[in-house]
Amino acid sequence: MIWAKEETLPRQEMEELQFARLKETLKRIYDKVPAYRKKMDAAGIGCEDIKSLDDLSKLPFTVKQDMRDNYPFGMFTVPKKDLIRIHASSGTTGKPTVVGYTRKDMEMWTECVSRMACMGGATSDDVAQISFGYGMFTGALGLHYGLEKIGASVVPVSSGNTQKQILYMQDFGATLLVATPSYALHIGEIARDLGIDPSKDLNIKIGLFGGEGMTEPMRDEMHKLWGSDMKATQNYGMSELVGPGVSGECLELCGMHFNEDHFIPEIINPETGEVLAPGEKGELVVSCITKEALPLIRYRTGDITRLFYEPCKCGRTTVRMENISGRSDDMLVIRGVNVFPSQIEEVLLNIEEIGAHYEILVERKNYLDSMTISVELADESLLDSYAKLGELEKKIKFNLRTVLGLDAMIKLVAPRSLKRFEGKARRVTDLR
Amino acid sequence: MIRQLSIFIQNEIGSVAGVTAILKNNNINLRAIASFDTPQFAILRIVVDQPEKAKTILIDSGFAVTVSEAIAVELDDKPGVLHDLLQVIADAGFGVNYIYSIVFRNGKIPLIILNTDNLEKTKKVLLDKGYSVAEQEDVL
Repeated sequence: MIWAKEETLPRQEMEELQFARLKETLKRIYDKVPAYRKKMDAAGIGCEDIKSLDDLSKLPFTVKQDMRDNYPFGMFTVPKKDLIRIHASSGTTGKPTVVGYTRKDMEMWTECVSRMACMGGATSDDVAQISFGYGMFTGALGLHYGLEKIGASVVPVSSGNTQKQILYMQDFGATLLVATPSYALHIGEIARDLGIDPSKDLNIKIGLFGGEGMTEPMRDEMHKLWGSDMKATQNYGMSELVGPGVSGECLELCGMHFNEDHFIPEIINPETGEVLAPGEKGELVVSCITKEALPLIRYRTGDITRLFYEPCKCGRTTVRMENISGRSDDMLVIRGVNVFPSQIEEVLLNIEEIGAHYEILVERKNYLDSMTISVELADESLLDSYAKLGELEKKIKFNLRTVLGLDAMIKLVAPRSLKRFEGKARRVTDLR
Repeated sequence: MIRQLSIFIQNEIGSVAGVTAILKNNNINLRAIASFDTPQFAILRIVVDQPEKAKTILIDSGFAVTVSEAIAVELDDKPGVLHDLLQVIADAGFGVNYIYSIVFRNGKIPLIILNTDNLEKTKKVLLDKGYSVAEQEDVL
């Protein structure tokens, strides 16, 4: 089933709609957001210079740093009283990235998630267990509203407490699971350990996975655990754009359909910023053309992918994006949380008892990401007792948790025992 | 009081040997050593004949080292004497953080080395009870 008629618009009609919406949004941003106006003025571009969709490439990019520089509401085009929701994600400098929604934005977001859930097979008959963490992150509440709109029975179990997750699945007869792919695999493993075969003893038939990419080997694993008939799709989004619902896979599994009537995707060469032809691999750049509160223009996502414009067998005409194949920066996605090594560095450098060098090791254990950070002990006076060293470890963990929203394991090592680099330091080892 | 070195070592094969190699090469005599089976890292505590020299050399070799004081008490080789000592400390209201010993002292009686919440007061209590508390030169 296709949720909305906009998903099947002929290309020309879609482009006309996009252009009209882009013009309107751009004018509003120019009037209301001094930071973006300055960028346009500096580039010598006015709203009137945008005469067709092709002219989009003339506009300056928006980057994450713009959101930091204008923290918390400087990129917004509406007064704070018009917001009915505020979300945030962890920030690189201790300051989070703040996003906000007007009532109309919430409707648009919900609509986009409903489309995406419908594409993945969800119906009003489903009992949808949402195992994303609820809170400031957009994932859980985004899916929550979209699935409610479809008419599914939403079970907002949140992440963690895996045994209880399995109990609810059994007792409530959940048919649909929303989780990061790695957490879904973990739940399946734990169920098996408890003597429950997820493919036979549980009723989950649909998996809507997001928060991190799902590779094809992971999808194969998913089918092995949850049953070969599971409809296991993934979807894409980021809080700066709206949250989940930017794009999602249909059951043909040939890329994630973009909600193009709300978001215009482009692929650029991350080095030069030049727009690449359809099918070429590069960094995804997205313009929000219907948002009221926070419409970012040409936002650089940092995600590397490709776009395919050929119509899909499912009947949708919207452009499809390939599974993310990498990042144009050093961002890590750990248990669905975006982590920049610079955030970790910032925390560590503010702790006097440890040295300036560190190493980050990311692994996957039982399908769950784990991060171990090795730091050198610099304050010998702590050697008086294990308790003092334990306190230090706790303090590092706590400070990291405050900034990242994520638990890391800390490995204290001897001074000067970590590798030194002459050129660019390679401090991150990702074994996933 | 005696002076002990606390050295940070990782739980890896050869890490204690890495310390003893440096002591050996610099002709430093080890009088006591203590460490426990902790999961990731350990504090290796040693008593040596030249604590300051040992500290400098170990730091130059990349170790995190601190020198601190500890109480060393002479105890006769008889059943119950350690208990009596610990009871005195407990009765005085001090907690023992760790304890180890020097057995070989060229014919002199063994020393029990211990650390409490308050070294000075513990020492005074022990002296008042007639215990013989050793100084650094006594361990040479």
